[in-house]
Amino acid sequence: MSEPKATPSAVADDGGLKRSITGRLLFFYVLGDVLGSGIYVLIGAVAGEVGGAFWAAFAVGVTVAAFTGLAYAELATKYPQAAGASLYVNKAFRNRGLTFMTTVLYLSATFAAAGSLAAGFARYFGQIWSLPPALLVMIVFVGLLALVNYIGITESVVINMAMTIVEVVGLVIVLLVGIIYVGQGNADFSVLVNFSSGDNIIFAIIAGVALAFFAMTGFENAANVAEETIDPSRNFPRALVGGMAAAGVIYVLVSISAALVVPVDTLANSDAALLEVIRAGILPVPVSIMVLVFAIIAMIAISNTTLVQVVTQSRILYGMARQDVVPAAFAKVHPTRRSPVTAIVFSAFVVVALLVVGDLLNRIGLQIDIVERLAAVTVVLLLVVYAGVIIACLKLRGQDDTDDSFRAPTALLLVGLVGNLVLLYYVISTDPGSLLWCAGLVAVGLLLFVAELAAGKRDRPPGVERGTPIDGGN
Amino acid sequence: MASTTGMHVVVATDGSKQSLAAAKHLMSFADPAKISEISVVGVVSPYASVAFADDISGSTGDRTFREAANDAVATVAAVLDAWGPKVSKKVRSGSPANEIVKAATAAGAGLVVVASGGRGLSETILLGSTAQRVQHSAPCPVLVVRPAKRKKK
Repeated sequence: MSEPKATPSAVADDGGLKRSITGRLLFFYVLGDVLGSGIYVLIGAVAGEVGGAFWAAFAVGVTVAAFTGLAYAELATKYPQAAGASLYVNKAFRNRGLTFMTTVLYLSATFAAAGSLAAGFARYFGQIWSLPPALLVMIVFVGLLALVNYIGITESVVINMAMTIVEVVGLVIVLLVGIIYVGQGNADFSVLVNFSSGDNIIFAIIAGVALAFFAMTGFENAANVAEETIDPSRNFPRALVGGMAAAGVIYVLVSISAALVVPVDTLANSDAALLEVIRAGILPVPVSIMVLVFAIIAMIAISNTTLVQVVTQSRILYGMARQDVVPAAFAKVHPTRRSPVTAIVFSAFVVVALLVVGDLLNRIGLQIDIVERLAAVTVVLLLVVYAGVIIACLKLRGQDDTDDSFRAPTALLLVGLVGNLVLLYYVISTDPGSLLWCAGLVAVGLLLFVAELAAGKRDRPPGVERGTPIDGGN
Repeated sequence: MASTTGMHVVVATDGSKQSLAAAKHLMSFADPAKISEISVVGVVSPYASVAFADDISGSTGDRTFREAANDAVATVAAVLDAWGPKVSKKVRSGSPANEIVKAATAAGAGLVVVASGGRGLSETILLGSTAQRVQHSAPCPVLVVRPAKRKKK
């Protein structure tokens, strides 16, 4: 943030090629992206799947994700454009269909993630004010984030940093509760090796990992800012992997703390599991105040991560419109705000549609947990994208290497690839219903493509070929 | 600052047509002999959904946000080039209003030229636009060029 005053000589000519994202800022960006998602929203569900040893699920999930992170780190130092998976797949395979599908899968994942997070937000909200119906809270939440994105507050580095610090403070509170509890001599450590399904520990862990994996989503958004990172070949791998590792350590410690303080059944059945840790009343502060404070912290954390997803959605749609694979309207930016209004409104609409569908399914008696379902959908979509990124990374070895581009250890990438595929197989086999949701989201992307095919000809001046961005203005 | 012969002017562009119009507006009334140098400044905001949107250069192809910013800055600079004063190009990174003010401060600018959009709801009720924020904290006078009133279609 503190930029050294430019000397007159540096200002005099083209000396303005300044990048603004330092390694430290990128670290906080990654940490903030990652922390808000899983731990606040899904910790109860993970505990339910695994049992008292659910910290292990977070540890494994973080590790598999971090191996994928290594591939991102390598690719982002080689291709520091502000684009992620689709760019890498395009570089590796030069196949437009594959690139398009990668983009659509990733876009769909951000829709599902935003939906899951919005539902998680509503649960914390319901803990402090239960009057408004959850669906209404979710819709207002999604609408407000779209508005924030439109205004462009997201550009603020300071706000980003502040939100991340709030997220960390919330988790430190949980840790503090755990430490005090252990200090009082009440802790029963045997719970930490306790598995709910006694017969098959491996399956219990994989089940938890699949959900815990959602907790790591968001790290790939770091590719968004790769272009503006100072000295990316040094800073990017460090900040990305460092941020993920830090998040992983925090997750494991928070899981252990929660498991020690609160019975696993209570965690599993709670709508807002981390609040149960606060409700245990360990801290020397009135519980009602702490619950309120913590719920607000949790909501800020979830908002931060959701906001990054929302920003990413509109950015992807904007990029797709620039490449002429979705209608040109998505590339239109507001004349003053410079934000892609159509893309923002459309994204909010899709996320709300997901939440409404979930609500309707519940009303007609199909009991689904919208948070878990959309998290599973996100994980399925992302696992495919992540696997593609690792393959692209391996395929691009020997191309575009520079002396200082980061090179990820091949063995770890292969472990990551296998890990992604195992998890993918597991999630699909246990929750085949999530594929329907995936298909629905992908269909939205394909519909946009068809709309572009149909209408693109009409709004394209004669003689201009597809692939040439046409003027989005008036 | 360093210059005693004339004023250093910072012309900001966000890639909008209005920012190009703002540069032309400056040329329509100012005396180039009294201007020592013009810095054309574009700002990439990495965290925003569209880090930089270039509507003016007419460049096509797959560009990164920074390339788009470079193109837009070059387009505005090309318009100013033949006018007289030395023109320099800068692309900065961060929050637009902040970076424009920093660029003006660093250059010891005597004038900042920015474009502003309509009088719509979002400018009035929501947080101020970049132009408003620049006016608020610029180290020098600010010329805010608003769009000419157009008849509605």
